[in-house]
Amino acid sequence: MIYGDKKTGILVQGATGKQGEFHIGLMNAYAREVGGRGVVAGVTPGKGGQQVHGVPVYNTVKEAMSDHDISASVIFVPAGAAADAIMEEANAGIETIVCITEHIPVHDTMKAIAYATMQGSLVIGPNCPGLLSPGEVKMGIMPAGLFSRGNVGVISRSGTLTYEVVDELTRAGIGQSTVVGIGGDPVIGQTFVDVLKEFENDPQTKAVVLIGEVGGNLEEEGAKCTDLPIVAYIAGISAPPDKRMGHAGAIVEGGEGDARSKIARLKKNGVPVASRPSEIPDMVRKLFCGC
Amino acid sequence: MKLREHEAKKVIKEYGIPVPAGFLIRTAAELPALLDALGDKIVLKAQVDVGGRGKAGGILMADKKTAVATAETLFKKEIKGLPVKEILAEQQLDIQHEYYLSITVDRSSKQPLILFTEAGGVDIEITAKEMPGAIKKVIATPLMRDLPPFMLRELAGKAPREIMPIINKLYRVFLEKDALLAEINPLVTTPQGVFAADAKIIVDDNALGRQGFTVNRDLTDREREAEKHGFSYVELNGAIGVIGNGAGLTMSTLDLIEFYGGKAANFLDVGGGAESERVMHAVRLVASVPSVKVIVVNLLGGITKCDEVAKGIIAAGISQKVIVRLAGTNEAEGRRLLTEKGYEMLPTMDSVVKKAVEVTA
Repeated sequence: MIYGDKKTGILVQGATGKQGEFHIGLMNAYAREVGGRGVVAGVTPGKGGQQVHGVPVYNTVKEAMSDHDISASVIFVPAGAAADAIMEEANAGIETIVCITEHIPVHDTMKAIAYATMQGSLVIGPNCPGLLSPGEVKMGIMPAGLFSRGNVGVISRSGTLTYEVVDELTRAGIGQSTVVGIGGDPVIGQTFVDVLKEFENDPQTKAVVLIGEVGGNLEEEGAKCTDLPIVAYIAGISAPPDKRMGHAGAIVEGGEGDARSKIARLKKNGVPVASRPSEIPDMVRKLFCGC
Repeated sequence: MKLREHEAKKVIKEYGIPVPAGFLIRTAAELPALLDALGDKIVLKAQVDVGGRGKAGGILMADKKTAVATAETLFKKEIKGLPVKEILAEQQLDIQHEYYLSITVDRSSKQPLILFTEAGGVDIEITAKEMPGAIKKVIATPLMRDLPPFMLRELAGKAPREIMPIINKLYRVFLEKDALLAEINPLVTTPQGVFAADAKIIVDDNALGRQGFTVNRDLTDREREAEKHGFSYVELNGAIGVIGNGAGLTMSTLDLIEFYGGKAANFLDVGGGAESERVMHAVRLVASVPSVKVIVVNLLGGITKCDEVAKGIIAAGISQKVIVRLAGTNEAEGRRLLTEKGYEMLPTMDSVVKKAVEVTA
């Protein structure tokens, strides 16, 4: 697994909001199931001293860090406050920052990621479902019931499409090491390249499913620089040019980043590309048997 | 959202980048009073939200005598199907050399990317292919308000010295106006100095509010209506309406329709935790598209409550056929409600899409 395990202590920013409260409950239910530490502290400015599902809430990240051993965080604050939340956590020394928040202006994200990088922190997202390592840790909002433990890593720009693929894999008896939703925005912290590097150093991960979509060329850049066996799927073959397909980053611009050319470049690099999600399990099986 | 040329020029002018003398007119009758300020040679540019307007006849040259008649001609034209409601009347520049300058968001480095070339005035994509060495690239850090002088020197090369402050001013525009793209093409030298002959700015849709925009002009009426309900919506032109949760899953559903030989009418992402009322609005919105014969609902997720979705579909009470794939909490209750009312519910994404394509074939 990558980006954390059972021993990882998690902080949640936006702990007292509707989303934060709901998902602290689910993350800690998962932690109890697998014997992990889960969410140990929450932060909402002005709500220090409260509790959410028994988790103590602090006014600042630094206060929470002085009382608890924390190395990761999940952010649920509104778009206008999310970049600030990322920077506060990076400044306090949190290693892995998962930002769920959608609709953050790109310039705010660029600044927050540049700052976090200077502080030595990793950012996953924004506009992502977080990550889940079956049997180890859940940081984010992925529905744990669909997952099973195994050797296949999954990297995706999407949320529900990831669940669809994970569900297919699990039904086919193919378990996952870590499933990472890297986010649907044009600028995200950990890209395919970064996550693939993590998977390369992870003894549990033997193959990777890469789920991309229209916009940019980071899928191809990632696939080019790894030796891990990969199966790819690219959503948006039917996406018209210059239209944002739900995600801020899912747009074919200036004739670039369309699905067909992405698929062609992946195939040229020897990466098998599924034409629909239900083909993925068989293609992964073929990677393992080498046929 | 794309700014129109006259809007983009107004923005860069505020930042001190010289633009040609120009006026926005809505009728040809406004022109005579402006002729003295415009000089002898005039260019009339249709302000339409479409690319390649020059080749489509949206830019006309004139002089003092022909200006009014030429403007009348341009107002009567349609540029790529769009009526000309506004014209930017500008002085013609005495161009000596054309440069290209653009600033974009670079996904790979996660930072602003600045491109400059002395081989401007032509299609930048062609320059990139034919003489990639002619395009100078610099990655900037978004944490600095100004570009360090060395970056400006690297970009400008042998170009006239007045270019360097213009690059920095455009960088300020890019940062402060939440731009995804700020471009001057061409940036020209004339005996009177350096001017931005054309300008393009795209503002981040997620920053429109703080940039003072109340509506996103890039959206169609129905797309705007969808936005009010918090849906992501894109109009296409097939017969199969699509409602999904999550952008990736919804896109993948459209692709599957194409895979099985059908055509999607739209993309509609209802978002997370869809309650019955939201689902009802989504179904009604898609059903209101005249070309829609059948609607595919593909919802998957831990927190989606299937009984809520079922209630929403039933409440919408539309005449077209609805085929449903639901996975999540209260799945059995959702299926009971739907089958009771005669709706079809199928277990997989492939099966709902196949069925919908059959219905429309």
